[in-house]
Amino acid sequence: MSNVDTIKTFVIAEFLPGTSPAELAADHDLLNDGVIDSLGVLKLIAWVEDRFELAVGDADLDPNNFRSVEAIDTFISGARTAAA
Amino acid sequence: MAAPQQNRGPGSAQAEGPAAAEVVSGSARALSGSAGNVSGSAGTSSGSALPGLRPGPRASNAGGAERSGLRPGPRAANAGGAERSGLRSGAAAGGSGGAEGSGLRSGVAAGGSGGVEPSLGIVGGFLTQVRDRPHAVALLFNGEETTYRELYELAGEERDRLARLELDPGEPVGVLADKSPDAVALVLACLLARRPLLLPSPALADTLLADLFAQAGCRYVLAPGGAPGRVAPNPDVAAQPLPADEAAEVAFMLTTSGSTSLPKIVPLGRDAVDRFAAWAGPAFGIGPDRTVLNYAPLNFDLCLLDVWTTLARGGRVVLVDPALAAHGRHLLDLVSRHDVHVVQAVPMAFGLLQDAAAKTGATFPGVDHVMFTGDAVPDRTYAVLPTLFPKARIHNIYGCTETNDSFVHEVDTSATSFPPVPIGRPLPGVEALVLDPDTGAVVDGPGSGELFVSTPFQTRGYLDRTRHADKFTGHPLGLDDRRWFRTGDLVRRDGAGTLHLTGRTDFQVKVRGVAVNTAEIERVLQEHPDVLEAGVAAVPDPIAGKKLVAGVRRAPGSDLTVLALRGHCARHLPRAAVPTQLTLTEAPLPKTATGKVDRKALDRLEPIAPAAVPEAAPAA
Repeated sequence: MSNVDTIKTFVIAEFLPGTSPAELAADHDLLNDGVIDSLGVLKLIAWVEDRFELAVGDADLDPNNFRSVEAIDTFISGARTAAA
Repeated sequence: MAAPQQNRGPGSAQAEGPAAAEVVSGSARALSGSAGNVSGSAGTSSGSALPGLRPGPRASNAGGAERSGLRPGPRAANAGGAERSGLRSGAAAGGSGGAEGSGLRSGVAAGGSGGVEPSLGIVGGFLTQVRDRPHAVALLFNGEETTYRELYELAGEERDRLARLELDPGEPVGVLADKSPDAVALVLACLLARRPLLLPSPALADTLLADLFAQAGCRYVLAPGGAPGRVAPNPDVAAQPLPADEAAEVAFMLTTSGSTSLPKIVPLGRDAVDRFAAWAGPAFGIGPDRTVLNYAPLNFDLCLLDVWTTLARGGRVVLVDPALAAHGRHLLDLVSRHDVHVVQAVPMAFGLLQDAAAKTGATFPGVDHVMFTGDAVPDRTYAVLPTLFPKARIHNIYGCTETNDSFVHEVDTSATSFPPVPIGRPLPGVEALVLDPDTGAVVDGPGSGELFVSTPFQTRGYLDRTRHADKFTGHPLGLDDRRWFRTGDLVRRDGAGTLHLTGRTDFQVKVRGVAVNTAEIERVLQEHPDVLEAGVAAVPDPIAGKKLVAGVRRAPGSDLTVLALRGHCARHLPRAAVPTQLTLTEAPLPKTATGKVDRKALDRLEPIAPAAVPEAAPAA
């Protein structure tokens, strides 16, 4: 199941207040234009761990896992599959 | 960025002023001379000499055909053997690690634990390590070790590629690379070949990078392993290369972190960086069997200490992957697992370590030198440093790319003290002036004013000489012939002669160790056609120290969005200067009594509602 909407809602609330969900493309590069910086990635990881009850290991810290809403969604799906 | 110096305890012999500078520069000159010969002599000699070492500047011109792995280069004849004995003694001292310096700058040597022959410079020092300790580990990166020999061989491959480019004498190359052993090897190859290199931040916008490479006169932008550079020089920007004689002396060209427009290119001479290594190595006990954490990205001047000085002296560099640099747990693992002795980083890194350590109760008793630099250290971090690093001497270093480290303050961990931490006292050979901005008079003794410095490590000036104005000057009162750098920092000198930072003469702030100018960011925002007014402020952040907050009023009827404005910023600003929090309004921004944008109110703006766009179907 896709969590794109949930992820978008969080990203907007946390990093892009005032932005409409439709405006934020799922493949928008969040790292390149500084929407999420390296500390933002930490915040995002904490939220992913909490919201989706996943443990994000050191090996998963690659920022590319968190580059876009789509990438985050793929990462979560993959991690859940692995955990299942 | 960096700020310099190390304040030794009472009784240590602090070298003073110009005399020390002369000594240092004298030795450094001797040093670079012998450095050239290191490779040469290695080539002529057989057996014990470093296999495959090739002579410096000529070798690259000799063409790749001559390079044959470990075979001594035929060019070795270029290099006289006369200085070889000097080299050997240097190498011997380096190998033993603990030998004290031979009198030169004894104050410094006494302060560090591994003072040794300082006169080999970065290239000569590195080659000596390759020859004498080829199997020692030079780099550790994401769990992988690279020995001195392996690093040398990687650099040799890069040098072959350089040679095939048929560059003109003194012609710089651009290097665009994220930190990795391969990137270190590529930079080393340029140093070994005496090829000036422009090493900007890969995080800069591509348009800025293209302009920078062009301005420096780079025809080629290199990436490790012969991969094509991500960016090509902009053909529409005229090169402003250094005069050939000056270019021939340049090792690195770094850039100011400068917030906007084109960063300034700062050429650093070989002698200057060699003098710096000669100070930094002994000052922090950098040498064989010592491990130094490298936190900064490879383009930061901080790497002159934690990467290049370490490699010149036979230590081991633990490279922090920039992609993982914000993860405290990862940093903690690196410092603990790899027995790190020396940690230099921006205060934020220590804040991250602090938070990670708080979860596990970890401390770092193996660390014996801690240097924070580039920014003011937050109170909460400062308070725990002595607990976190119970055996370490703790230093606040002050400096910038233009001058490299210039002041140091050693924190007295036996006494209770509170931030802000002083910047301390000048490094050996560094001269400092405090100038009263109102009267233009030099402040002697206690007092406040703008800080001017002149260091043995500084650049001769920006590549673009038109940008010198107000930054590089003669003595403000014409009292000497040194070249002075105007820091823009306001300082107070106390009764004991220690300097304290009190502010800026401009809108510059430090964000995670990167200098950004909020006025310039405002200008970039205002250049967007749909922007009516903009304000930018740096507000305290518990982790980052400071974060940038922007408020922007868009034109009526405009459909400008936060994302579009971010895209605009990302195209015209380095990433560190893109505001963390960006609020778009249609109402006028709050004003102060004098009618200026109230920058203190920017983090409390009401964003416009995103309602205009109907709720679209979910994108996925």
